[in-house]
Amino acid sequence: MPAETDDPIADLLIRIARQDREAFRAIYPVTSAKLMGVLLRILGTRAEAEDALQEVYTRVWLRAGRYDASKGRGMTWLIAIARNHAIDRLRARPPQTSSGDDAEALDQLSDPRPGVLEGLVAQGEARRIVDCFGELEPDRAASVQGAYLDGLSYEDLARRFGVPLNTMRTWLRRSLVKLRECMES
Amino acid sequence: MTPLPPEDDPDLLAAEFVLGVLSPQDRAAAEVRIKQDRSFAKAVTAWETRLSGLNDSFPEVPAPDLMPRIEERLFGKPTPKPPFWRNWIAGAVSAAALGAAVFLLVPETIFTPDQSLVTLSGDAQALRYDVALEGETLRIARVAGPEAEAGTVHELWLIAGDAAPVSLGLITGDSISLQAPLLSAGMVLAISLEPTGGSPTGAPTGPVLVTGVIAGG
Repeated sequence: MPAETDDPIADLLIRIARQDREAFRAIYPVTSAKLMGVLLRILGTRAEAEDALQEVYTRVWLRAGRYDASKGRGMTWLIAIARNHAIDRLRARPPQTSSGDDAEALDQLSDPRPGVLEGLVAQGEARRIVDCFGELEPDRAASVQGAYLDGLSYEDLARRFGVPLNTMRTWLRRSLVKLRECMES
Repeated sequence: MTPLPPEDDPDLLAAEFVLGVLSPQDRAAAEVRIKQDRSFAKAVTAWETRLSGLNDSFPEVPAPDLMPRIEERLFGKPTPKPPFWRNWIAGAVSAAALGAAVFLLVPETIFTPDQSLVTLSGDAQALRYDVALEGETLRIARVAGPEAEAGTVHELWLIAGDAAPVSLGLITGDSISLQAPLLSAGMVLAISLEPTGGSPTGAPTGPVLVTGVIAGG
């Protein structure tokens, strides 16, 4: 089958949208390690991450028709599905459980490096966001990343940074506006 | 300092959704909006792309092959292929006929001499074979219908449980006698049409003509 885009994962998603089970089987070995990494980081345990991984691929099959290759990379779309599902699971957890996770998240966030862009390979899209994060105050950048990478909610972030919830929300929204401006400039 | 956009700015709401910081209620409302509001859905996709540079921070962690379970969830359990002879028998004989073929009850595993054991018959078949146990000899006699046409032969099979059919022998002429196998209730006797010399594969290859179930007492 000829490639329809320069993105092999996008090509597989286009075929999956046409109910192509071969493509569905083929996408797993090339994407599951990354999605497992996303789920494990946000959910914290292998058992739950594996459970979530099954749900994520179920959604990939059911929703592939909504993927639009002209709007983004296939892997970006897959990671969005994985993150959304992981965050839904986090939010559905009883409060006691999530406080334990917050403690771990705190360890990650308490990294004193300025502008904690842990292990970020700075190229392409990543390069751009590294530059733009660099323009934010370190703890603001860390809060955006804590939300994105660890699935922290406004409440989690407010507790971690020791500020009222509304203050955290204002910080974060302001940071997002700055990021948007920076990335579009 | 950049002024903060209004509280209900859709693009910031999209960003908050993508980050995942919204309360469960607001998050659910945003999900509904994605499906109903195209420009909002576009804003969400734009933020997913903007923030995708952070994706490099997610490590790769090898996952076990969960695909069989995922496919089972989506497409159902692959139905195990029934033993081929099940279809083979069903093709020629209805279950009712299979039941009706039993006409004699004998005490389980103990067959008295000269006992007619079972009649083999089939739907849309004039052919009938009578099977009798005479001492340690199983006697199979055609009691109705024509013998196999030239180039073909009737082959007798014994089917025990889910095991593959075992050939008991070829029926030439009107009847044959053979050393009786150990029989018990529930076993199926069947006759298939095979090329002269019998099934070349050791398993039935032709259509099943008649069957009968050995009944328990």
